[in-house]
Amino acid sequence: MKVYDGSQTAQTSTPERIKVGIAEYDVSTNGATLSTSGLGSCIGVALHDEESGVSGLVHVMLPVAEEVNGGNPAKFADTGVETLVRELEDHGADRSSMVAKIAGGSDMLDFSKNGSGIGVRNANVVEETLSELDIPIVGEDIGGDHGRSIRLESETGDLIVKSANRDSKRL
Amino acid sequence: MNVDIQSLGTFNQLAHEGAEQATASMSQMTGIDADVDVTQITLMDRGDVGEALDEQAFVGVEFDFAGELSGQTALVLDEACSETLTNALLPGDAGGEMAKSGVEEIGNIMMSGFIDGWADYLETTIEHSPPTYVEGIGKEILPTAGDTMADDQVFVFKSEIEWVDASVDFYIYMLPDQDSLTELMADHADAESDAIPVDKLHVFNRMTQQGTRQAAENVSMMTGIDVEAEVSQINFARIEDVPKQVGTGRYVGTAVEFTGLPSGFLLVLFDETSAKNAAEALMPTGVEGEELTDQHTAAIEELGNIMTSGFVDGWANVLQTSIDHTPPRLVHDMGRAIIDPLAAQVGQHQDHAFVIDSRMRTDDVEFESEIYALPNDEELREALEELAVERAEETDADPEELFQ
Repeated sequence: MKVYDGSQTAQTSTPERIKVGIAEYDVSTNGATLSTSGLGSCIGVALHDEESGVSGLVHVMLPVAEEVNGGNPAKFADTGVETLVRELEDHGADRSSMVAKIAGGSDMLDFSKNGSGIGVRNANVVEETLSELDIPIVGEDIGGDHGRSIRLESETGDLIVKSANRDSKRL
Repeated sequence: MNVDIQSLGTFNQLAHEGAEQATASMSQMTGIDADVDVTQITLMDRGDVGEALDEQAFVGVEFDFAGELSGQTALVLDEACSETLTNALLPGDAGGEMAKSGVEEIGNIMMSGFIDGWADYLETTIEHSPPTYVEGIGKEILPTAGDTMADDQVFVFKSEIEWVDASVDFYIYMLPDQDSLTELMADHADAESDAIPVDKLHVFNRMTQQGTRQAAENVSMMTGIDVEAEVSQINFARIEDVPKQVGTGRYVGTAVEFTGLPSGFLLVLFDETSAKNAAEALMPTGVEGEELTDQHTAAIEELGNIMTSGFVDGWANVLQTSIDHTPPRLVHDMGRAIIDPLAAQVGQHQDHAFVIDSRMRTDDVEFESEIYALPNDEELREALEELAVERAEETDADPEELFQ
């Protein structure tokens, strides 16, 4: 995990761009743009705390950490959200002023025969975990049968959602 | 010689951490931020190693290493990347010899970190030679095969390193001596379960190559475009790294779930230009405009179906199992978003996955197609075990016979 607090970067007029990979997260305290691409059934969870100016993005792949033995908390919806919240707090954010925006969770190419597909379950677990942490979801673009790429402008907390066959949305 | 899935996972993780350590050393030296994007172990023909490197000039450094694990390793940079690195290290005029010594110095620091990481884990000493500066076009940059033949199958470790600010080619390759690697894997294997005999994995890779050739022939027959199977390999990667195997652009293709032994998913993908060219070869009349129409995607669906059947039937023949598949579902979306749900579905049961990656292309028109198969790893192991028991003679024989 890398954290960008401005001290490591050269001064430039355009905000720094940080790519967040699958099962990864990143936090920015300097207005950087955080982006992640190729969300199918995966979900991108963006958190923003206006007051402290701290933002973060996590790209989760599977619903619940218990289902699989794996060492990487950012891979799962429950532990991924919890980890990101903790990281924001460690960088000076306050949970009570955090808001969340979420995108992804498509059910494209879901071959599940019984019950809900992974995209739906990912979305449910993200929503439940945020609710348990009392963080409101103020914007979402979830479900459907198409992929998405997202960009969090951490200066404003705006989340831009691009899809292959649709116009981009600003949440 | 057997390898077990757990030790493949461990070795993959080890290579990943080694690459991370190497990248951190480089970042510290130059102040340039970079991340290890993906690390995978690939079983492939020795002659295909380096297929990911474009036909362009690369520079790098190479080492031999020896000890409990022996072989060669190389750091490979494209020219733009090496210029940026040496400028960061030696600001100002860093041309010619200076650039070369800059690359050598960075290479030395990175690769020492990489090798030390392995030695630490293995609790042993691995000696390495001084760095040798190398230049070459495409895969020529990599160490030569020595006494290995071009069609010998080898395990190769490859890490792709991505800059935070730009997309630049930057790779660490590790080509272990195969005997030394398989012995080491066997030492670290869990004797109880999970073992896949390496020679069966080799046979399976050959089968997959045959399946790809069959699929390519089907495409040629249908379209009249002379298509050739190009590369076929088995990658082993963390589930979260599976989607990174597909490009970031948009693709058209088909996906199926297959059931039987093994079960899993199979994806046939065409980039949009290839999709258009392949589809139009199937259409009776020409099509105006650049857009992909419903006619194009219908043709791709048909093509995907034919390719899938050829491929899956090939497996079933060899494994002597019955493998069924669902009707193909058409997809047209961002490549990584297409494979992401398939990787997630496999990832519900396993941390790592085998990804069978086959490509075909032609020089006649711009056409490239990729086939990805994601089998359940436990079932693949079982299927290969069966193969060992019941089909030993056939598998020792020429796999081509099985595809007649």
